[in-house]
Amino acid sequence: MRVQGPGGPGGPGASWDSGHTELLPPGHRVGDWVVTEPIGAGGWATVYAGRPAGTDRPGTAARPREVALKIMPTAGLAPRQARGIAEAARREVEIGVRAGHPRLIRLLDDTVLSAPEQPALDGAIVLVMERARGSLRDLLGAGTTETEGARLIAGICEGLAHLHRAGWVHADLKPENVLIGADGSVKLSDFGLATELTTGTHGHGPPMGTLDYLPPERWRAPLGELGVEIRPSADIWALGLMIHEVFASGAPLFSGATPVARGAAVQEYAAGRAPLRMANGVPEFWRTLAADCLAPTHAARAAHTAESLLERIEARRAGGSLPRVRRSRLRRTARTALRALAACGAVACAIWSYAGHSAPEGAGATRVGTAEPPLQLRVFNAERACQDRTDRDPRCSLGLAIDPMRPYMAGNVVPARVWHADVLDADCQLLRGEVVIDESDTRSTHWFRVRLPSADPAAAADAIAWLPAVRTKDRPPLPSCPAPPGSR
Amino acid sequence: MSGIVVHLPQGSGGGADGEPGGEAVTLRLGPGEVARFGRGSSRTPVELRLADEAVSRLAGEIRVTDDHWQLTNHSTTQTYLVENPEGAGEYLRVSPRRAGAPIPFEFSRVVLPTRRGTTVSFQVFAPDHVYLDPPGAGGSWASRTVTAYSLDETATYFLVLVALCEPWLRDQSPVAVPTTPQVVERLRGHGTGGRLTARAVSSHIDYLADEKLRIGVAAAAPETGAGGVPGPGDRRNGKRDAVVALALKFAVVREEHLALLPPRAEAGARGR
Repeated sequence: MRVQGPGGPGGPGASWDSGHTELLPPGHRVGDWVVTEPIGAGGWATVYAGRPAGTDRPGTAARPREVALKIMPTAGLAPRQARGIAEAARREVEIGVRAGHPRLIRLLDDTVLSAPEQPALDGAIVLVMERARGSLRDLLGAGTTETEGARLIAGICEGLAHLHRAGWVHADLKPENVLIGADGSVKLSDFGLATELTTGTHGHGPPMGTLDYLPPERWRAPLGELGVEIRPSADIWALGLMIHEVFASGAPLFSGATPVARGAAVQEYAAGRAPLRMANGVPEFWRTLAADCLAPTHAARAAHTAESLLERIEARRAGGSLPRVRRSRLRRTARTALRALAACGAVACAIWSYAGHSAPEGAGATRVGTAEPPLQLRVFNAERACQDRTDRDPRCSLGLAIDPMRPYMAGNVVPARVWHADVLDADCQLLRGEVVIDESDTRSTHWFRVRLPSADPAAAADAIAWLPAVRTKDRPPLPSCPAPPGSR
Repeated sequence: MSGIVVHLPQGSGGGADGEPGGEAVTLRLGPGEVARFGRGSSRTPVELRLADEAVSRLAGEIRVTDDHWQLTNHSTTQTYLVENPEGAGEYLRVSPRRAGAPIPFEFSRVVLPTRRGTTVSFQVFAPDHVYLDPPGAGGSWASRTVTAYSLDETATYFLVLVALCEPWLRDQSPVAVPTTPQVVERLRGHGTGGRLTARAVSSHIDYLADEKLRIGVAAAAPETGAGGVPGPGDRRNGKRDAVVALALKFAVVREEHLALLPPRAEAGARGR
């Protein structure tokens, strides 16, 4: 069940349509409504534009002039399949009735068709919804400005935050299901797979979804009597992918020719065998936000709720006065310099230190709502045997240096150890430190300055250390570190 | 998507010195992972050891990619065969030094020649193949909402599943899921399913439960609650019940699939 805008890739006509669904002709009457044109088709439903029947009747002024009619035929289906469709429709209606919100598509009416003279339509479920102008999918290809992208993502977050607060997980979030209203407003739609949180942390939904937007854990999720476990973090994962798509002109984050291939790439990333490779054009703030949404495990993702993400977006928007604009322009200049000249000269480094300095060292509080450091790094241990262990065996631990300008050997290693998949806060990076050679003979002079993981907050204030970049697959867009003492 | 399962039957592996024997080996590989196979040595480590002197130290490797796998033949002289045991003689030839030949079968038997005119073989299962949902309405499949647990309706495991579900699909208000001997008996008249042994039926049920539907612990052993972890082979009845319950509940098996079964001996073949 899916709504696809007319401009979407592979829209009606551009498909392998096997002719299972017969299209209704314009002028066809469906209940109180008249079909004007087909909009799109999905697995179980066909969506038409419609208008009220008998427009000249008095008292119809309150009714919208244009609606979307989602028709889910049940005729000719096995009883269990028909039940599945009825279930999906019930969820849509329930959300429409119980969780109405400006960021969710509005359900105007629902009915079951009785059309004995048309066996294909007899018993079809019809949902009458407000008509949208198109979907996020239609906007992606064209590319959006940062301001417009920010507005779209904020809108999705508002809708999600409301849905999650109301105790539901969308469970099939994707650009096709993010509709854009006539006034440009964002409206989430298609709640056919929406899952009610029965335990507070998760619910159970039918084992369905859209391959490109399934979180990594879903690919291995066991199927139980009630279906698969669905958590709000599944929507957050899909949101992370959409943030990337919005700011990368629709380019999918995970590469591959087919959804299955991209699903395999998601698995490789989640297993720590491949890094997250975001497109260059994604602005820093959104890059960080997307990376948080795309934490590889449900547990790591759970820290980021639709609400907390929305707060960060709003805090950034609120701080959007002149100084911020200037700073962000500066940062962009610096980033370009860095890309052009990986081993940056003194001038570029100076710009970087300046641009990166707005966050006071060691102050974690500046994170929310800004693109400032620290950004998170996931530790990567090249030893395969260590990647699956979670017991923090000392033999699988990795070291951090005290001084990245001195040889990385005993005496230059902090007592604290880190392990594969640990997440560290990094506040800046050093491109030309001492050379480190890893197990696979990769030479690198690239280091990240990280906060030491410590249980003791007092000790954490000045507890920094240096992680060789070969120990992580992440390359967050951090500013350059001020030249450490001893480098000059 | 969980990757693939490689199974080397008992007696084909062996020590580093090439002595035959050894326990059965089962490897699980996720997308992007690689397993090497061959006779192996201390300097040529392999994940899957094949104890036959005709097999090279590093004979080849398997790499999981997308929903399938690729076979690289490191031998300079030997051609390997990849058979589809369910494909009525269907097979692929992988020539010497071929790199990354894609293997399209869900079930494969990789066969390496030996000098004695016999062969060494191991099996590879690729349970992640995706099948589209039946009523194909518009839209490219790329953005479709699909069932995440899809089955090959032409596979033998599907036939076994239909036989298990038949009493419910025919509304016979059954009291219990058919037993393995009953399934064997029910499929007797079938072209390919007629040759199934009880052991084969059981392993198809295990494959459905463990690899295809990935039946959760709680569902597989409802009587033990969430804490019980059933070992392999344990609670086969719980597993069987769970397979049937889930297949019916999520309409994986439907009335139209009854046509796959051979006509029933008694009660006349009702329709289809």
